[in-house]
Amino acid sequence: MLTRPLDSVAPPGADPAEDPQEMAARPRLMVPLDGRPAALGALQAAWRMAQAQGCPWLAVQVELPALRHSPREEAARMEQLRLAERLGAEVAQINPTGMRAAQAFLALARARGVTAIVLPRPRRPRWLGWIQGDLVEDLLGADPKIELRLVPGEPAAPSAPPPAAGRQNAGPRDAGPRDPRQLVPALVAVGLATAGGLLIVSRLDLADVAMLYILCITVVATRYGRLTALLASVLSVGALDYFFIPPRFTFVVEDIRHIGTFAVMLGVGWVVANLAERIRAQTRAALERERHTGALYRLGAALAEGGEAPAIQERVEAYIRHSLGMAALVLLSDRKGHLVPRTAGGLQLDRDELAVAQWALDNASPAGRGTRTLPGARGLFLPLVGAETPVGVLALFHDFGGPRHGASLGLPMALAAQLSLALERARLAEDRAEARLRADHEQLRSTLLSSVSHDLRTPLGTITGATTSLLDPGPEAAPGDQRMLLLTIHQESCRLERLVNNLLELTKLESGQVQVKKEWVPMEEVVGSAVGRMEEQLGDRQLILDLGEAWVPLDPVLLEQVLLNLLDNALKFSPPGSPIEIDGWVLEHRAWLAVADRGPGFAEGEEEAVFEKLHRGSCSALAPGAGLGLAICRSIIQAHGGTIQAANRPKGGAQITLTLPIEGAPPELPADGLA
Amino acid sequence: MTQDHPLVLVIEDEAPLRRYLRATLQSFGYRVEEAATGEEGRAMLLRVNPDVVLLDLGLPDADGLDLAREIRGWSRVPIIVVSARGKEEDKIQALDVGADDYLTKPFGSGELLARVRVALRHAAEVAGSAIEPVAAVGPLRMDFASREVTLDGAPVHLSPNEYALLTALVRHAGKVLTHRQLLHEVWGGVPSAQPTYLRVYMASLRKKLEPDPARPRLLLTEPGVGYRLKA
Repeated sequence: MLTRPLDSVAPPGADPAEDPQEMAARPRLMVPLDGRPAALGALQAAWRMAQAQGCPWLAVQVELPALRHSPREEAARMEQLRLAERLGAEVAQINPTGMRAAQAFLALARARGVTAIVLPRPRRPRWLGWIQGDLVEDLLGADPKIELRLVPGEPAAPSAPPPAAGRQNAGPRDAGPRDPRQLVPALVAVGLATAGGLLIVSRLDLADVAMLYILCITVVATRYGRLTALLASVLSVGALDYFFIPPRFTFVVEDIRHIGTFAVMLGVGWVVANLAERIRAQTRAALERERHTGALYRLGAALAEGGEAPAIQERVEAYIRHSLGMAALVLLSDRKGHLVPRTAGGLQLDRDELAVAQWALDNASPAGRGTRTLPGARGLFLPLVGAETPVGVLALFHDFGGPRHGASLGLPMALAAQLSLALERARLAEDRAEARLRADHEQLRSTLLSSVSHDLRTPLGTITGATTSLLDPGPEAAPGDQRMLLLTIHQESCRLERLVNNLLELTKLESGQVQVKKEWVPMEEVVGSAVGRMEEQLGDRQLILDLGEAWVPLDPVLLEQVLLNLLDNALKFSPPGSPIEIDGWVLEHRAWLAVADRGPGFAEGEEEAVFEKLHRGSCSALAPGAGLGLAICRSIIQAHGGTIQAANRPKGGAQITLTLPIEGAPPELPADGLA
Repeated sequence: MTQDHPLVLVIEDEAPLRRYLRATLQSFGYRVEEAATGEEGRAMLLRVNPDVVLLDLGLPDADGLDLAREIRGWSRVPIIVVSARGKEEDKIQALDVGADDYLTKPFGSGELLARVRVALRHAAEVAGSAIEPVAAVGPLRMDFASREVTLDGAPVHLSPNEYALLTALVRHAGKVLTHRQLLHEVWGGVPSAQPTYLRVYMASLRKKLEPDPARPRLLLTEPGVGYRLKA
């Protein structure tokens, strides 16, 4: 966050973390930033001092309500604040209401235990400061406990490029000091007052005419700018003298007392003008602040919903569009720091704008409309920099910096700061989830490796042993032993092959390399081909098939894989000679297929776990295998949109039931007359 | 070993597998020549003029599929391709470019010898170019002249499509036929024909010819590839 609004200043010692004793012992510098070139010099001096003393320092942005900042000064002020932040200052912002900037500034200084304030040496005559309201003047000699260090203000930096054309469409109230139009209300008002005076002067006292002029000055002061009010004062004095003070219709003053009247009129004009100006400034500041706070609050609410970065992007864009009436785009940067182009709400950045946005991100500095960099651009591009990393750019399309809007980038900047943190949070959450996934993956891999290496080594050991025995038979070896050893080798090889196949299959399934190619296939054919493949292992095992004539959309190669695994399990986990049953039926647009045996069944509570990868049932010691078979089955069935469940049969034994969705109907066949 | 013994050319890069093939084939009376690369295999083919080629699809220096197509360009020698599991696409492609059959690694000696025997027999039939008027496979007997089919001597009634399908399978008994090949044999130029048609007629053929259609003994399914009539 770039700035921290400090509207109300905490009393000293309010921060329990900072001991006043300790604060007093430690030097702490503070520098006000008001956007004038001189403040830049003070900022740099303060930085050098802070570095030399190794002490913390504060840069405080001051908004002087007594003095309207020009857009240029506003931008310069923001820039100074950013510079201060980059130089390592703690930054704050004061927006004083009801008291002079100097008082607010000092209160903050006391609250933060500041020992010295660094100020640019005033270059203007003192009296100008009295009139315009100058912070430096106000601070001089204000608090004996805080040291004031006056430093020479550096010569002004090269002036900013002129603001874009079309931004000077100011109304009369906002006219610049040299605008002749300011004269008009003053002239009109004084003219009216004079006319009124001429009407009443015959009947009333001269003092009443003077009151009329004072009324006119007051009205002008409240309605128009200070300069107009001052003009009206001067004109009133002139008019009063000319039209009413005897000798009339000359500027000659006979009675010296009338000089006093002139002084009172001028004084009243000046005081009223200043008061009115201050009230106006405060009203404007209050409105601005309210808008600011409200906007930030609502944005905070929009961001509080959290979610992933794209959701935040959309919500914030919608929020800015609806609540603030600005077109906005939130662009995110990729991991390499490049902005990802985006279209939202019919809004899209062209190539040049994207380049400006990228510049803003790379330099962590606002660019475009209302800034010093490319002020002629269509949009304002605010870098979104989180606490640690840049996350993107907020592009706003709005007439910023127009004098009418108080020339304030404060609100967009605050929005951007809040948005940055939310986006960064989302991104960090994403990273964390990814890291967790990776860790899980690593964990699984190592479990798989340890489990599989055991299952690979056992058959390999047996095979190696058996072959050495065959190659170098003992003297008493019987001819039958040889055949037995060969059979062992054969069986173990088959086991190895199955294991390797399962491993490969699972890897393929999990990495998404397997595509389910559904075709309409009779259930009978799928079961038939799987059973055919298992004939050797089945031997004389009784197989009870009840399949019906259902046609199911499925991938025949993958489904055969499932059935081979289920049959293999049934053979492994049931006693020799016990029957194996395969039943198939169709119910409610689903095909059901159950493979059942008469083995010990599943241990209680294990029915779900058997489908987990690497799960070994309680009787797996009898028939080793890496526990991959059922995991493969589940992967394949789920890829078909089906379900698979394990259960124990009422009269003992395990049953795996799978379902496959049946959608649509098998294609029609061309006619085929029976021969 | 005389010239009468059929010569098998093994094009396979894995030495242990070559050794196993040589030992098995020689012990059943075949002569064996070996080539370790596609290049070597091509040269050997011209030199030794084998009766059967066993071709590994996963050769390091050449695409086995291209080699099969090339051989088929100028020779009618039966080609049995050897491929790894799960590569149904490769098998189908190899069969469609003219390979006669395939073996999936790992395979036993029984399977190997059966495939080689079938390949040699079909080569001999094609060379004789006389289509036998009567074919018998196991309990099945087909008289192509009278269009009579009997199972264990009992007549079986088949629809025209069933008959065409069975004819294709019997003519290539023992050999795998891809879906495409069978569709071509039965439906000829019908472009909309699809494997589902085959499955329908296969199911009804099984019902008529198999005692237990769910455990076929004759009409075997090669999932993802096609069908094979057990020789």
